[in-house]
Amino acid sequence: MSLNRSRLLFSLLAACIAAAPAGAALAQDVVLGASVQLTGPVANTGRYYRDAYQLAIDKINAAGGVKITGQSHKLALKLYDNQSDVNLSVRQYTQLVSQDKVNLLLGPFASNFALADSAVSEKYKVPMVQGGGASDQIFARNFKYVFGTLAPASNYFGSTIDMLKALKTPPKTVALLYADDAFDVSVAEGTRPMLKKAGFDVVMDERYSSNTSDFNSLLSQIKSKNVDVVLVAGHETEILNFVRQAKSLAVAPKMYSFTVGVPSEDFRKALGKDADYAFGMTAWLPTPALKDRWFGDAAQFAKEYKAKFGYDPDYHAASGVADVEALVQAMEDAGSIEPQKVRDALAKVKFDSLYGPIAFAANGQINLPQVVIQVQGDSLAEIYGAKGFVKQPKYPMPAWNAR
Amino acid sequence: MDLLAQILVNGTLLGGLYAVMALGLALVWGVLNIVNLAHGAFIMLGAYVSWHLYTYLHIDPFLGLPITAVVMFALGYALQRGLLNLIVRAPMFNTLLITFGLEVVLTYLAQLAFSADFRTINPPYAGNSLQWGPVVLPVARLGAFCMAIVLTLGMWLFLLHTRLGRAIRATAQNLVAARLYGVEPRHLYAVTFAIGIALAGAAGGLYGTVSQINPYIGASLTAKSFAIAIIGGLDNPLGVIVGGLFLGIVESLTTLYIGPTFADVASFGILVLVLIVRPTGLLGKTA
Repeated sequence: MSLNRSRLLFSLLAACIAAAPAGAALAQDVVLGASVQLTGPVANTGRYYRDAYQLAIDKINAAGGVKITGQSHKLALKLYDNQSDVNLSVRQYTQLVSQDKVNLLLGPFASNFALADSAVSEKYKVPMVQGGGASDQIFARNFKYVFGTLAPASNYFGSTIDMLKALKTPPKTVALLYADDAFDVSVAEGTRPMLKKAGFDVVMDERYSSNTSDFNSLLSQIKSKNVDVVLVAGHETEILNFVRQAKSLAVAPKMYSFTVGVPSEDFRKALGKDADYAFGMTAWLPTPALKDRWFGDAAQFAKEYKAKFGYDPDYHAASGVADVEALVQAMEDAGSIEPQKVRDALAKVKFDSLYGPIAFAANGQINLPQVVIQVQGDSLAEIYGAKGFVKQPKYPMPAWNAR
Repeated sequence: MDLLAQILVNGTLLGGLYAVMALGLALVWGVLNIVNLAHGAFIMLGAYVSWHLYTYLHIDPFLGLPITAVVMFALGYALQRGLLNLIVRAPMFNTLLITFGLEVVLTYLAQLAFSADFRTINPPYAGNSLQWGPVVLPVARLGAFCMAIVLTLGMWLFLLHTRLGRAIRATAQNLVAARLYGVEPRHLYAVTFAIGIALAGAAGGLYGTVSQINPYIGASLTAKSFAIAIIGGLDNPLGVIVGGLFLGIVESLTTLYIGPTFADVASFGILVLVLIVRPTGLLGKTA
């Protein structure tokens, strides 16, 4: 018995040694490292990035991988769960570059994470392409190794304000509410001067703590000041509470618009009919017009994504795919996987993806226009884009008891 | 003026919800001397129980509260008998450690079971409101408020006038003497903890009708319950009502006059003030 066992052990050992060269061959793979929120309060959005990274990598591998100077390399993903903890994510990125020796980095979700994590990529001079942080702060530091595929936070409400001006009877008073984190503060700082320039009367400009669950006092003020338009930059959890409490207090401004939530399926599912009339924005819609080298087009991608993961992708998912594709394109352009060369190629990269045309400004950020969207019935309608109205908005929003 | 009236009403209704959230924490703390850091996680679980009852069995969240409470009671009893009785007489640090661990475990189990998706318990009337002069009263909040009053008064009467209630109070006051009179502490501890968890579960059901739920709402609810229990005092359920209302109104007024970012500053500022001036709570007996 014991002889058998030691023989088994020996043969296992032998197998391991035999497998070692295979392991060395695997090392030629290009490993992309990332730390994403798979658990914790932001896991709900973090999963878009995990799923998008994985789908994009599988798709590119199936098409033969990355072609660098005539040789094909497979992509691999090394992913950690940062448990929605910024400090942990910084440690994980440090581990990715210093211990795991991954080749290149993909980003986390959310601006405060990208803000902290990009310090690691900068220190180790490994490029990070991140599609989860939009705050202008990330790109205001002259960092050389962080690239972002989300449109600038400061301009999230830009297209919405253009639309407001173009309405037949434009609103007069506006309330601006925002959470006190990197992304939402950037949104507010960008929105404030645009509102002023457009000539609206900003009657409320309030910053609230992240994770606020009670909006009754703010809503009562909105009602008492008879505000026409309410713009909220916050997190999905807050916005769900905001809408439900607006209904229960019978607060119905002419319109409200939210930076996040509206494009995602989960938001509409959680609110049901109460999501109707909510305005939002997205830099991406799954249209066949967006052609892509690996997926064909954005509509095709959305179909594959839904089939694989069971829920609709939103712009976070498309942005995550664009991150992988940008790295692949840059490696092919550079003809190398060396971080420095890939970084230089990223700075010059230019290609069409399912997410839109990818090209980074000198500060590393992409510039994509936001399309105004609105929940109309059960579907998401594209309302106002770069060329003006696409579909008529349902404006003003009817009172809650008149729906 | 209308706005101020509305804000005061908002604060009062919010305070009622706060009170019912803190009730179970105060009971467990007062009797068992366990600061239950998993309290918010139990509120979260209660919300999920109510959500499932409503979504799959179409049981109204308010009518389903007794079922939620019974489910949570059973869970609480089992946890106290199997786990927490081990540390009832251990130093405070051990109880903090074990309840903190419980909070983490429950939260992550909830994500495994229910995913990180946001849920709402959204019966057709949840968004309705009553008009009272210039003031709007949201129906779900009003319901939660009434339920808070009922539960608190029920709790008070139970502790004062029932055999079990007296036994619980006796154990809290003097364990040795209570034992001499035939109280079986292990069972009693478990019942007390189970009542606390049942109350947390009911609070969760109410919370789900006015707010979104996800596996991670627990931690901040624990902090809030903790503050209310301290402000109100631990030895009297009515203190919890006072603490809850006080906090709700202060937060609403702070939001109106100073700004929403200061709501939390105000509530924890008051907590510190109470700890300095009246460490036994607003309604607590002075030492």
